[in-house]
Amino acid sequence: MPPRHEPLPADVAAWACEFLGVDELPPEGPFVPRDRLVEFATALKNDHDFLFFVYCAATHYLAEGEPGSDGALPDRTVVAYRVRRLPDRRRGRPTQTFPFRVVVPTGESTPSLAGVWVGADWQEREQLDLVGTVFQGHPDPRRVMMPDDWPGHPLRRDYAIDTAHFPWR
Amino acid sequence: MNGAPPVAASGLLFNSAPLHALVLGLVVVSLCMGVAAWSIWYERKFAARMQNRPGPTEVGPWGLLQPIADGLKMLQKEDIVPAAVDRPLFELAPLLVVVASLGTLAVIPWGDGLVIADLHIGVLFALALSSLMLLPVWMAGWASNNKYALLGGMRAIAQGVSYEIPLLLAATVPIVLAGSFRLGDIVEAQAGLRWFALWPPGPGAVAFVLFFMASLAEANRIPFDIPEAESELVAGVTVEYTGMKFGMFYLAEYLHTLIASAIAATLFLGGWDMGPLGAGVHWMVLKTLVLFAVIFWIRWSWLRLRADQLMALSWRWLVPLGLVLVMASATWVVLA
Amino acid sequence: MRMPLDLLLPSWPDPHLDLGEYDPEADLVALNMGPQHPSTHGVLRVKLYLDGETVVKAVPYVGYLHRGVEKLCEKLTYVQITPIVDKNDYVSPMMNEWAVNAAFEALLGVEPPPRAQYMRTIFAEIQRIASHLISIGTWGLDMGGAIGGGATVFLYCLRERELILDLFEEVTGCRFHYNTHTVGGMRHDLPAGWDKRAKAVLDRISARTWEYERFLLDNPICRQRAEGIAVVDPTLAMELGVSGPILRASGVDYDMRRDAPYGAYGDIDIQVPVRTEGDALARALVRIAEMRESARIASTLLDGVPEGPIGALKPVKLHGAVKLKDGEEGYAAIESPRGELGTYVVAARERRGAASPYRLKIRSPSYHAISLLPWLCPGHTLSDVVVIIGSIDPIMGEVDR
Repeated sequence: MPPRHEPLPADVAAWACEFLGVDELPPEGPFVPRDRLVEFATALKNDHDFLFFVYCAATHYLAEGEPGSDGALPDRTVVAYRVRRLPDRRRGRPTQTFPFRVVVPTGESTPSLAGVWVGADWQEREQLDLVGTVFQGHPDPRRVMMPDDWPGHPLRRDYAIDTAHFPWR
Repeated sequence: MNGAPPVAASGLLFNSAPLHALVLGLVVVSLCMGVAAWSIWYERKFAARMQNRPGPTEVGPWGLLQPIADGLKMLQKEDIVPAAVDRPLFELAPLLVVVASLGTLAVIPWGDGLVIADLHIGVLFALALSSLMLLPVWMAGWASNNKYALLGGMRAIAQGVSYEIPLLLAATVPIVLAGSFRLGDIVEAQAGLRWFALWPPGPGAVAFVLFFMASLAEANRIPFDIPEAESELVAGVTVEYTGMKFGMFYLAEYLHTLIASAIAATLFLGGWDMGPLGAGVHWMVLKTLVLFAVIFWIRWSWLRLRADQLMALSWRWLVPLGLVLVMASATWVVLA
Repeated sequence: MRMPLDLLLPSWPDPHLDLGEYDPEADLVALNMGPQHPSTHGVLRVKLYLDGETVVKAVPYVGYLHRGVEKLCEKLTYVQITPIVDKNDYVSPMMNEWAVNAAFEALLGVEPPPRAQYMRTIFAEIQRIASHLISIGTWGLDMGGAIGGGATVFLYCLRERELILDLFEEVTGCRFHYNTHTVGGMRHDLPAGWDKRAKAVLDRISARTWEYERFLLDNPICRQRAEGIAVVDPTLAMELGVSGPILRASGVDYDMRRDAPYGAYGDIDIQVPVRTEGDALARALVRIAEMRESARIASTLLDGVPEGPIGALKPVKLHGAVKLKDGEEGYAAIESPRGELGTYVVAARERRGAASPYRLKIRSPSYHAISLLPWLCPGHTLSDVVVIIGSIDPIMGEVDR
């Protein structure tokens, strides 16, 4: 039976526990407070060699009480990041990834990581377009996939997929 | 023209020079148009065999009627003229481009005396008309009111200006060696297999290669087809043309290539003369078609140069080389 | 020969260049390259600001092929997703299937039986050859034109690819969109004698790779067009998440097949071709070396395909039976011909054990590669832009999803 999740690298996990003030990290990656996100990311990149930006994926969750929702949290978006460090053959270290997440309540914004990894620019644009997460300080906040005048963000759970948009396209 | 009729002794088919020119002109123009049309079939077959495919097979035996089908298709296409074009220039350009290529045919000698107009400045006339083709190409690029067409037209002008000079310098070598501008005289100077491509050794052969390269550039063939450059400029100057207007550009390109081969065969390969094997119009046609096939071969095996690399090639290498060749051939003439 | 231009700095040029700050004397022309253009590999649109023929700024616009695959996946069961993602990277469909199913299997805790692992690996390597053939061929088209020498290269590449499609057709019944991977294994077993035919094809192809190498290296025009064009800075490439042949051509020795083995790659030694030039020619040469290496890997693995079942789950019950636990999320990646192709899945929270994902994101290497364009194009001419796009080899179906 293979491991369900790639194990977090031990040295980074220890550092992240200390940084976040927690005892244990979930295997899907820790939740980082929004106000410390850029600091966390910069340290990951500069001190722990996580140069390779893998992805950034936002997931929308409805608030409690609305149909199809659960949990006690408000209407929110969880942005999951994953960064990778390449193998270090001198130290015998394989390639490792480190995921981390940030919770963005709807109507609020999260700092953009485009200043840390330039690759976050296009990734965050895609999430902005499809999920509607607002990234503060993003250098180029235009839509990517959908037309500029498209109403709504299709990957939100409250997006009415059956609505016909005029003109139909 | 073996066993030529007595009247042809003076070089005329008929006793009247204008009638001779008219009849010969009609024959040559229609034959060349036909050859250009069927050369498209030939090129498609040629390319197909190079690329492991059968090529056109459906229309007629071995697809031989494909040019007719293509022509009919072009005639039936809707003639779309975009609203924002400069209409008079847009309409005029395809006509002029064909006229400019056909005009060159006037001075090409197909056999002894078999020439529409035996000008004593034949070489200059032919080269001047073939460079005049740039004008309608630029007209088309400008009048199309399209950025791709404009870029193509600009490239055509830049390329034409650059390659005009090596072309003329290379053509100067046979002129100097033969001592005449008349194409007929140049052929006669090469009688007995003393082709300028072979004799004198050195300048003639290099000048032949230079002339051939420069005429490829003049005729916009790969690797010098940057004005058309369909992978960069979509179709360059012809991007807004549809139907038969596009067809005329297409035809003119093939005509130009055919004529460039004919001029190269006349200037460097001895024209209609084949030494001990006799002389005749068939040798001229054969040499032209062989050069024509070489152009196809080059086209289907080479990639395209970049615009600035093309200019650098001309100005850095070909122009100085041409000057050296002219000097070398002049020295040969003085010493010999 | 590169155009001298102040914009062309040795470090990264500014992709967000403010045109108001550019030389006011210059006549800038905005040229829309695409979405209908023969050399943008589909429906990519690049807005180029040209000073003469030199590109000052390039802004890629994607999304013309956006089909909403990720939204569609939220409505499909885990098993139904495979044929949909087939169409993402439409040059190497096997990779797409493996990438999503690897993520589902990791979350479900299912491991495919060894025979299925070997089949997947062999299929992936053969698919990699086919994909690189298309890449080299279309790059030739970009440089030589559809009516010219480029078309000859393209058709020679298609000749070899045809053999591969025949092989896959024999296994799956489809020439292109195979739908042969499924959660926990494969749908179609190898037919008798397939391994011998596959080996013959691989031998034939690896015996012919020198033709492409000679086309690239012995052709002075190709060298002139591609050498020193669009040099990718390795640090920039990593920050952008660009992987695969582009990263390896820039001197970064990283290949997931060797560094994070999955499938049957753990059983075999893999030589990773790396070049340090980082230019367009180096990327093509890395692809050719990978073709040769892939043929070797697949031939070696074909000798040792273990016997046994090809699926870990019962095929009849598959549909709707694959359910992940609440709210679990995970990521799995494979090395596709274009780089790291991964899938990020969040399992449904709505009902317990819902059979479709709550959120699925496909981390496509082409999307990251396209984001290189604003850095690569400035300072090059219009003719180079098609060479650059061809050399980073984007697949628009994968970029836009």
